[in-house]
Amino acid sequence: MLEHSTHHGYQIHLADAVYEPAEDSYLLIDAALNEIAGSNRRLRILEIGTGSGIVTAAMMRDAPEHRYAATDISPHAIACAKANRVPAIRADLFRGLRGRFDLIIFNPPYLPTAPAERVDGWLDHAWNGGADGRAVIDRFLGQAPAFLADRGSILLLLSSLTGIETVCEHMASVGLVVREVASIRCPGERLVVLRGSLSSK
Amino acid sequence: MDILACPICKGDLELNVTEETDEIITGTLYCGKCDEYYPIEDGIPNMLPPDLRE
Repeated sequence: MLEHSTHHGYQIHLADAVYEPAEDSYLLIDAALNEIAGSNRRLRILEIGTGSGIVTAAMMRDAPEHRYAATDISPHAIACAKANRVPAIRADLFRGLRGRFDLIIFNPPYLPTAPAERVDGWLDHAWNGGADGRAVIDRFLGQAPAFLADRGSILLLLSSLTGIETVCEHMASVGLVVREVASIRCPGERLVVLRGSLSSK
Repeated sequence: MDILACPICKGDLELNVTEETDEIITGTLYCGKCDEYYPIEDGIPNMLPPDLRE
């Protein structure tokens, strides 16, 4: 595995066919740490599609008092996350999990991808969001509310390429109160983190 | 372990550990209702249903 350092100073292992952390990863780390800052109880935190594991690894470093778990469908990603000491479970989104979580984090595959643009191998799962970019996000939103604890929330990373308004409407339709909690401009897109909670805190 | 359930029926799983250090390294999770095993290898439970495993 390759060592990787970032401008946040997180040292993590990377591997072939695993999404290399980028601006989206760092934006989500900042939003997640901000979300749990000041919490005076032990939170149950779940990351879906953890990839290299950088988001959960960063949270475990800065907020070790909480309980963490992370899933990914890719065998390469989940092995990489495990190497980064993340409690890793190989699973398709929430399938094979149960229980309620105080915080659910997801940096989904969000790029609109035509069938001809698919790449072979597991890395395709890291960014292929289907024709409208929302195929996996829509599945996630269909399942996530059932895994949220009372007053729990999700943090979902999105790009302006994905149709942010449409995702906001979908989140509202499954009973989530939606708020944008972070954003950054990158070449060709704007990245945002949407917070969806079961009740407004 | 307490957050894992059968990916098919969402039911309880029976844990069988074959190698353990400070965590479970190798073992299986068994669903009696579906008669299906989910392996734990290198400390990672594989909760993919059989039709999604490569």
